[in-house]
Amino acid sequence: MVDTLLALLHMIIFPGGVFALAVGFFFKGLDRRFEARLQRRVGPPLKQPLLDIAKLLTKETLIPNTASRTAFLMAPVLGFAGMAVCAAFIPVPGVYHGLTNMGDLLVIFYLLPVPAIALMLAGSSSSSPFGALGFSREMLMMLAYEVPLLAVLLSVAMVVGKGTGAGAEFSLAEIIRYQAAAGQLGFNPIMMPALAAYLMFLPGTMGVAPFDIPEAETEVLEGPLLEYGGPPLAMFQIGSALKTFVVLGLGVALFFPGTLGDFWLVNLIWFLCKCLALMVLSLTLVKAATGRFRIDQAFWFYVKYPTALSLVSLVLVWVL
Amino acid sequence: MNSLLKKLSVRSPWLFRINAGSCNGCDVELATTACIPRYDVERLGCRYCGSPRHADVVLITGPLTARVKDRVLKVWEEIPNPKVTVAVGICPISGGVFREGYSIEGPLDKYIPIDVNVPGCPPRPQSILEGVVLARKIWLQRLGVEE
Repeated sequence: MVDTLLALLHMIIFPGGVFALAVGFFFKGLDRRFEARLQRRVGPPLKQPLLDIAKLLTKETLIPNTASRTAFLMAPVLGFAGMAVCAAFIPVPGVYHGLTNMGDLLVIFYLLPVPAIALMLAGSSSSSPFGALGFSREMLMMLAYEVPLLAVLLSVAMVVGKGTGAGAEFSLAEIIRYQAAAGQLGFNPIMMPALAAYLMFLPGTMGVAPFDIPEAETEVLEGPLLEYGGPPLAMFQIGSALKTFVVLGLGVALFFPGTLGDFWLVNLIWFLCKCLALMVLSLTLVKAATGRFRIDQAFWFYVKYPTALSLVSLVLVWVL
Repeated sequence: MNSLLKKLSVRSPWLFRINAGSCNGCDVELATTACIPRYDVERLGCRYCGSPRHADVVLITGPLTARVKDRVLKVWEEIPNPKVTVAVGICPISGGVFREGYSIEGPLDKYIPIDVNVPGCPPRPQSILEGVVLARKIWLQRLGVEE
């Protein structure tokens, strides 16, 4: 009973729910601000993502006559729910060790594509031809970037499992404990290709340039989101903010879970700093510097480079 | 709570562009000059969006030709309320150089209530941005909130 309550608390307040939302929106604001500074302009205020949400809540909701009503309205909620649960599994090193003690890496791997699936559901249920185009693009992207993600997670699980003698270790708490003892995996030469692959995976899964192909506003008129407006669109944005926290927090837990001392507040701030560094490196800089790939270019990019890099790590772990 | 949301909402005007048979001059000034990083329309919270469903401030260029009239009205209807309409260039006001042409159905405010006119042929990017700022004020009035 107490455990269930505690788990719910972790989903609603920390690190899921309120905390993840605050971090996600703060990071999204920082991201837009950084991008503006890189282009030598002032940029929007830090709270701009929240202002966008406030605006969307005051707009009316329009549902196309030909759309499948239930699926159309449920899709944003599905994406949000998937990420809200997933956020509770993200450990904050030195503060919070994750919701369970076994196999949470697999749960995260299954929950991570939920927003993409929600987007596909949105595109196909909106009955718009552009939505259908966005659906097919989103599916292709997902097929391409899920393979390197799996290989990265596997190589981390293998290297930790080898160290502890468990074969393959799918518990994030164990992975962090191992790295505290044996050094962070991000500094391990064997794991550096996997780290590079994870950095390449981030812009694809977050749908930012140069991989914002499914939602390209100049080509497919925002694709799956075309028919959404008002509160449902706000729901998609909230889900996206949660996903920012989830993918960055997962990256920190996998590769750089080092802590500074034992005081929880210092560790929390250190965790956020590392998330921020990861975001600037893999999302903001890339976004500000590039245009947009075609879908076939993006697909082959993911099939070639991140997959190859993550497989190199996997094989090296196996052999050495 | 509701009035606070309304007050905050005007700080995130998303822009949408409709071409009502424009000669493309205003579109160049609008999409590829006023909306590029140099003039930093994002500092007002603006985002250029591709779908009429996301739009708050709709910028219309062109004299409304006969061919495009029904489509312009249809797309304008698709934009969820509350919305503010900004006419960019001299053409939506009077027809400009195309005035009294055989294919011109304008002026635009015969069909659509225009909130802000940005005259010019084409208008300077700075005045287009001023039009967006004025549109925010009108949006506030429309929501019935004191600034």
